[in-house]
Amino acid sequence: MAYDLNFGWSGTISQVVLGATRADGGSRKRSYRIGGETTLPFLGDDPSSDGPLVALEICDNPEYWSPVIKNYCGDLVGNVQAWAKAAETVYGADLVRLYLTSTRQRNFSDITSVGKTVEDVLSATGLPMIIEGSNEPRIDSDVFLKCAESSEGERLLLGTAEAGRYRSIAAAALAYDHSLIAQSPIDVNLAKQLNILLKEIGVKRDHIIIDPYTGALGYGFEYSYSAMERIRFSALKGDTDLAMPMISAAIDALTIKEVREAEPEQKDEMAVEWEFYSGIAAAVAGAGIICVRHPKTVGMLKSAFADLRNRSKSDEVT
Amino acid sequence: MTNIEIAKKNGGDHLELMISGMQHPVAYDETAYHLPVSFALTGTEVHDRKSALDVFFKTSKNPLVASESVLAEKTAVQGKEPAPYTGFIDDTIIRKLGYSLVDGSILGLALVVGTPASPDSAAAICRELQEKYMLTFLAGDIVRSLAGVGVKVGLEYCLIPLGSTPLHGIHFVDVIARVAMMFGGVTPGDIHRLLVYASERAKAIVIVFPGLSDDEVAFVDGMRVLGFPILSLGDYTGGEWIPAQPDEVVRRGMEQKGIKIQVTAIPIPMGCSPAFEGKSIRKEEMYVEFGGGRSPAFELLSMHPPDKVIDGQVTVIGPEIDAMKEGGAYPLAILIDVAGKMMKKDYEPVLERRIHNFVNYGEGSWHVAQRDIIWVRISKEVVAKGVKIEHIGKLLASKFRMDFPQLLDAVSVTLITDEVKVLAAKKTAEMVYEERDSRIRGMKDSDVNTYYSCTLCQTFAPNHVCVITPEHPALCGAISWLDGKIAYEIAPSGANQPIEKGASINAQTGEYDGVNKFVKKASHGEVDRCSLYSVMEYPMTCCGCFECIALMLPEVNGIMVVNREYKGITPSGMTFSTLAGTIGGGAQTPGFAGISKNYILSDRFLQGEGGIDRLVWMPSQLKEELKNQLVKKLTDQDKADLLGKIADENCATTLEDLIIFLNRVKHPALTMKPLV
Repeated sequence: MAYDLNFGWSGTISQVVLGATRADGGSRKRSYRIGGETTLPFLGDDPSSDGPLVALEICDNPEYWSPVIKNYCGDLVGNVQAWAKAAETVYGADLVRLYLTSTRQRNFSDITSVGKTVEDVLSATGLPMIIEGSNEPRIDSDVFLKCAESSEGERLLLGTAEAGRYRSIAAAALAYDHSLIAQSPIDVNLAKQLNILLKEIGVKRDHIIIDPYTGALGYGFEYSYSAMERIRFSALKGDTDLAMPMISAAIDALTIKEVREAEPEQKDEMAVEWEFYSGIAAAVAGAGIICVRHPKTVGMLKSAFADLRNRSKSDEVT
Repeated sequence: MTNIEIAKKNGGDHLELMISGMQHPVAYDETAYHLPVSFALTGTEVHDRKSALDVFFKTSKNPLVASESVLAEKTAVQGKEPAPYTGFIDDTIIRKLGYSLVDGSILGLALVVGTPASPDSAAAICRELQEKYMLTFLAGDIVRSLAGVGVKVGLEYCLIPLGSTPLHGIHFVDVIARVAMMFGGVTPGDIHRLLVYASERAKAIVIVFPGLSDDEVAFVDGMRVLGFPILSLGDYTGGEWIPAQPDEVVRRGMEQKGIKIQVTAIPIPMGCSPAFEGKSIRKEEMYVEFGGGRSPAFELLSMHPPDKVIDGQVTVIGPEIDAMKEGGAYPLAILIDVAGKMMKKDYEPVLERRIHNFVNYGEGSWHVAQRDIIWVRISKEVVAKGVKIEHIGKLLASKFRMDFPQLLDAVSVTLITDEVKVLAAKKTAEMVYEERDSRIRGMKDSDVNTYYSCTLCQTFAPNHVCVITPEHPALCGAISWLDGKIAYEIAPSGANQPIEKGASINAQTGEYDGVNKFVKKASHGEVDRCSLYSVMEYPMTCCGCFECIALMLPEVNGIMVVNREYKGITPSGMTFSTLAGTIGGGAQTPGFAGISKNYILSDRFLQGEGGIDRLVWMPSQLKEELKNQLVKKLTDQDKADLLGKIADENCATTLEDLIIFLNRVKHPALTMKPLV
């Protein structure tokens, strides 16, 4: 039996390009296109779209990083270059998301080191990257400028713009042709408002990825799921201010009670399962990039997505 | 004295001669934009006399175009001027400059040209520009004057010496042209968008000292087309330059262009961030408290003429915190005086409500309620760090300026802790509150064609849409029609949007086609029809914030209302919380409606079902709260006895008892048209 998988929708999600290869003036080994959907996820995907992608999150100062990851990865977490390299060659991630946690120390002022870290990591991996800059309005301007400048031409994704502080990151993205993540607290209207603010400042639609924010599965994830679903429905119905790809990072999955209180030998498994199912749910709700921190989750998600994409092409559905 | 009109004409002619006499090829290094002004205006790449003249005539002999080519040729022949002059600035640096502009770390751009009579006053002007985060470009003798009095110049000082002649000021224009192309999405040759960008987005001003030649006057005057105000410090007559004095020139220029200084950090000894908003300060953590029924306290925000408000001024009248005993309750008046070109009297209550958020942003300050029922606490922890009453004032003054930069030019705060003075000031405040209430009280739904929506609650009630009219406040009771209107004016892309009510479909129930259309869209297609005054037919959706619930009781042919505070059982057999669970979440439930308390006093109350005569039951507490106004309203309608016929929990908590009561008092609802 044949179904109309388009449901009469008129909108198309804008396509965002991540990563510039040598041919495009960058140094990434590959680049991705995400977005372009005209219907819900996994219902006959647009072949030109590469999503959903899996990003492995790493950081340059692991002091407050989850002990589960520190245990699993060992010395790797102390060497951000090696970690980034492993993300590509060992763990098989599509993207590397670098958190510049070093900037989150009190009174941080070594802006030069930010540029160096970004350059080092870019040279260690050929994957397109997401760079999470400052968390502190005082140094936002300097940090985002440095991140964007040190990666000029690479067409990366910069994080994270919020309603109260989006100017620095928007300026950085505009000046050096990167895309950015626009995060709002689980609310379709606030997501739209931030996109309008970004539009007003000059950021193009195909340079924005929406982060509707999320907790972990079982910890408020259903709110995010609903927000994502509504963002996607509005977009498909023609609201261009919401027609951007989405990103989801259920980082709470590593700190929830079930993981904290698991027996030592089960901690890894529990963390991976939680990240995995949060990630699957986010992809089903429409996320084009799923971010995880446990290396073992990467492969599981990738094979699950491949499976879902293949199934969506089979005759059972169409 | 130079007459601008005459100089402009002569200068224009001379510039034409110069551009016509060009002999050498021109080009700048390190740019992808050729001669940027010409390129941005026409899309033509100028590299010689022919292409320069082509652009010159295409732009109707624009003096900026002429100046650009003439100066480019001069530079090509004579080479770049030596340091400190920068000459043409390359694209990499522009990218960084543009970044700071978009990012807001510089507020605007200024060009200063000419020969200052007094180097000291020139230095003072430049210092003021630096202090006010204006990226300043210098061209002509001004550079030497500044060097003479020891002013440091260079990009790192936000004072950029472009060149030794005022004509070098053209680089100021080419910077803006390139910023427009890099950041503003202006395509080369799109004059219209370029001009819009230059006049609306590029916050640029030009300050002119005496001593310009005719060519230079023509060039400077040419920038008016870009919407830059030209402020003249003397020696020029005629034309449209704005005469100014050295001590006010920067302020006037910035005002002219609408450039406002932002406050970035609040200088108080405690943290201040929305992150603290949700905290509470319990009795054992508190150092002192104000209001909350324990002492007189109120807040009032009012607007004043600009000369009456000194921005940032904080005054404490009465004892400071060190004269207060730990654990005590003291009187407090929070008086906020504001001034602003865009400010309107109507905005006062909406801004006043922000006091609540702002005080709560403080790490150790806490605030609930509004007007003269506020309750404020300050924690022991921050008092130990040195926080005083004065700092609450500083916090408020800074936050208002930060959050409403477009609206407010000046904010001052007065905090009174002296009981006698608080009580005296409270009398005035009460009059203001009453005046505000009466402003909306007199308004009728039929007086306006535009209502306002509120979708603030879609966070948790995804398809809920409140329609707010003058006689139908939001069901939470917190937003009146005026508040909606103002919220829209302040934040045009926010949660309160205008709704054209359109043609009437049913005047009785208050159904309008414009409202229906809006609700359909805003509810994401879930709700097709919405009547403003009916509980039975297409009632408004409910989020969960309603102050009261109105519901139909078919057995008595009437409608009962229960408020959130009433914890007991109602004749419907359910408590408020059970009822709330049944109807919330953004659903439309015929027979039930979420309403505000004030709506009960509205002439439109239950209009669809025949008005207030349908009201058969409400809790005594709610009756008491509304009594004065209700009695007046009913008396006006010649129904003074109705109030006694409305049952409460003392006469009936079951349907059976209610039926007996209503029959005994001969409640009018019993004989009205059947509800179902």
